[in-house]
Amino acid sequence: MIINTDSTKPIYVQIAEWLENEIIAECFMADEKVYSQYQLAELFNINPATAAKGLTILVEEMTLYKKRGLGMFVAPEAKMMILEKRRNETLTKMVTDIVLEAKRLSVTKEELIQLIHKCEEEI
Amino acid sequence: MNVVNCQKVSKGFQRTNALEDITFQLTDQKITGLIGRNGAGKSTLLKILAGLTKHKSGEVSVFSENPYNNLMVSANSILVDDQMTFPDSLTLEEILGSAPDFYKRWDAQLASRLFQYFMLDFKQQHSKLSKGSKATFNMIFGLSTRCELTMFDEPTNGMDEAARTDFYRALLKDYIAHPRSILISSHHLTEIEHLLEDILLIHQGKVVLHQSLDEVKEYVVAIQGPIIDVERWTEGQEIFHSKNVDGQRLYVVVKNNSKLERARLEGAVIQTLPASEVCMYMTSETKGGIDDVFK
Repeated sequence: MIINTDSTKPIYVQIAEWLENEIIAECFMADEKVYSQYQLAELFNINPATAAKGLTILVEEMTLYKKRGLGMFVAPEAKMMILEKRRNETLTKMVTDIVLEAKRLSVTKEELIQLIHKCEEEI
Repeated sequence: MNVVNCQKVSKGFQRTNALEDITFQLTDQKITGLIGRNGAGKSTLLKILAGLTKHKSGEVSVFSENPYNNLMVSANSILVDDQMTFPDSLTLEEILGSAPDFYKRWDAQLASRLFQYFMLDFKQQHSKLSKGSKATFNMIFGLSTRCELTMFDEPTNGMDEAARTDFYRALLKDYIAHPRSILISSHHLTEIEHLLEDILLIHQGKVVLHQSLDEVKEYVVAIQGPIIDVERWTEGQEIFHSKNVDGQRLYVVVKNNSKLERARLEGAVIQTLPASEVCMYMTSETKGGIDDVFK
C-alpha cells in the first residue's frame, strides 16, 4: 500500500487501517508479533512517531497488545473485533447517507421504512 | 529536554521586522517542519539558531546556551542552506576528510556512500559545482555530521525530482538509525509532510501554529453549501478563507469546532483539508484570493 499524504485521512489512521487489513487477511495471525514503529516508518517512508500513533490506536481498541520490551502482538480476538467494528461503522454511515438523501428528496420516515421492507421482501 | 528555546525573539533589518516576538521550544529528537510563505522569516530564524546572526531582543538558547559566537553550539549544530561556503583550496574529498576534526560524530562511511550514490566527483571544487550538485553535496555534509541539531533551509532547491526523493528517504533512514533534532524549512509542505512530527508555522515574523502534523490537519475545515446556510453555520466564527463558488454557493474555511456537527446533520458538506492547504489559508493576507485581482 502507498500512503497518501494528500488525503484528508491522517497518515496514522491509514497505518492503523493497513494493519487491520493485514490482520483480516491473516497476514498476521493471533498472538503473532506485528511490525514495530521503526519498521513501519521505514516501510511506508513516514515519521516513526506517526507510525507509533497508528499502533497506539490499535492498542487502545485492544486489537493489539503490548509485551514490555518485546513489541506489539495481535490479540486473539482481533480479526473478529475488526470485522465487527467495520460492519457497525460502515452500516451506520450508509444509513446516515440514506436518511440525508431521503430528507433532500422529501421522502418521509414512513415511506423510507416502507422502502426498506419492500427491499427486504425482494431480496 | 528542550534543544531550542526562544523567548520573545525579535530581529529587524533596517526598515522591516523580520522576526517579532517569536516564542517556541523544540523538544528532543523530533523532525519539525518550519513552514511559511516567502519572506516569513524562516531563514532569519534558522540563522539565529545556528549562531550566524545576532538577534535584536529576546532570549535564544540552543543546548541551553546563546548560540551566537558559541563554539559548543557550532560543533553540535549545523545549518544546511544554499549559502554554505567551503574553501576553494580544498577538493570535495578534502572537505569531507577535514570534517571529523570539527564534528565529533561525523560518519565518514555514510558520507562516502552517499557521495558515490549521487555520483559526485571527489576532485571537484565546491564553488564549481552546479546548483543541484551543490545542494546535494551540502545535504550529504549536513547528514553526515550527525549533529544533535541539524537544520536544513530549503535543502532541495535546485535538486531534480529523483534527488529530492532520495534525499528525503536518506534523511528518514538516518534519523531512524540515529534519532536527533531536525528542523527543516520548505515552502513545499506536501513534499516533506510524511517525514514530519511537528509543524512550526510562521507568518510575517510571528509564530502562527506549533503543533503536531495531525493537529494541524484537524485545525480547520472547509464547508460548502448555499450562501444563507453557510453564513448561518459559520456565524461568529473566525473565517480564514471565503469564496463564492458560483453565485449561489459559498466555500468557507473555518476553525474546526463542535457547532459544525449540527451543520453536518443539516446537509452541509464538511471536509478536512491537507496540511499544506491548512497552512496556506492560515497565512493568507486577505480574506479573498487571487480571483479578486481579476474582478
